[in-house]
Amino acid sequence: MKNVLHWDPPEGLTGVEVLYTVQYFIYGQKKWLDKPECRKSNRTYCDLSAETSDYEHQYYARVKASRKATCSKWTETGRFYPYLETQIGPPAVALTAGEKSISVVLTASEKWRRTLEEGAVSMQQVYPALVYNVSMYSPQSHRMWWQCVANGSLVVPWLEPDTLYCVRVEALVPGPPRLPLPSEKQCISTLKDQTQEWKIK
Amino acid sequence: LHRCPTAMDTDPVKQSFQAIKGAVQANDTFKNVTILSKLQSIKPLDMCCVTRKLLEFYMERVFKYREELSVQISRGVSSISNSFLPLQRTVQPCKARRLCPCSEEATRATSIINSNYDQLEVQAAVIKSLGELDVFIAWIDKHYHPEPSTA
Repeated sequence: MKNVLHWDPPEGLTGVEVLYTVQYFIYGQKKWLDKPECRKSNRTYCDLSAETSDYEHQYYARVKASRKATCSKWTETGRFYPYLETQIGPPAVALTAGEKSISVVLTASEKWRRTLEEGAVSMQQVYPALVYNVSMYSPQSHRMWWQCVANGSLVVPWLEPDTLYCVRVEALVPGPPRLPLPSEKQCISTLKDQTQEWKIK
Repeated sequence: LHRCPTAMDTDPVKQSFQAIKGAVQANDTFKNVTILSKLQSIKPLDMCCVTRKLLEFYMERVFKYREELSVQISRGVSSISNSFLPLQRTVQPCKARRLCPCSEEATRATSIINSNYDQLEVQAAVIKSLGELDVFIAWIDKHYHPEPSTA
């Protein structure tokens, strides 16, 4: 759950050296907290993944701009709830071709980790109701299939032998709609029909 | 132990809440206070009891005061309140069939929630409780999600 705050420079100051300072607030706690890496920075974004890694809390962030001796007021975000609002990355997709079928094996993406020493947490653990929307497309016949899969595997039967098929997968979790992050398109051809081969010999 | 209820359809509540979430949370100026604390520590055994008590909490202590809010928020709260009725009807048979026990911990957790509410002036407490509806619904979804059917 990588959570990066983005903002636009103040109007009329594009190209002018403006520095930004970011703070964040954990809803229910006592005070605003500094983010040292984002104090007096000229970047217009700030990575708050570490600070918002407890996805069951809610957070606010605020930014102020400064130029020479002058400072702007703070601009504050709404309440951010990672559990319901972070985009969920696509699973890892492994395809295996048969003569008339393709097997799709899916591995859930992992929660963002501060360091590799931190144990891996699968999105399946965070969202028990996570499902996958698998779409398959045949460039030759222009046919398309969709299937919602709860566990991590699926076999698509009744395909044409020796034919190219392309697959994309998207993870869906409960809660308000989120911007989809589908997997890269992956293509594979079904095997040649062995029975035809024997007839030819 | 047979899980009761087996599933809860929270989609109508989520849709209505999504429409007023920004306005409600923007009106909540006390960032350093929460109402629904400790939800994440509720044990599976206590799920039904806490769900039933919180549905009641919202109906009796939050939605009832919607007239004190802006027209836009008040209208949204009315549809949320209507969407809570089927949820209460889903939980009610569990209590009738004694499948909704309340442990000491569950009772303490819900009384903490009520005392969090009492710390604030009514309108502020109503707004804050409304603003935390997404936490309550996410908690319900996490535990009562229906087994996804493959299409």
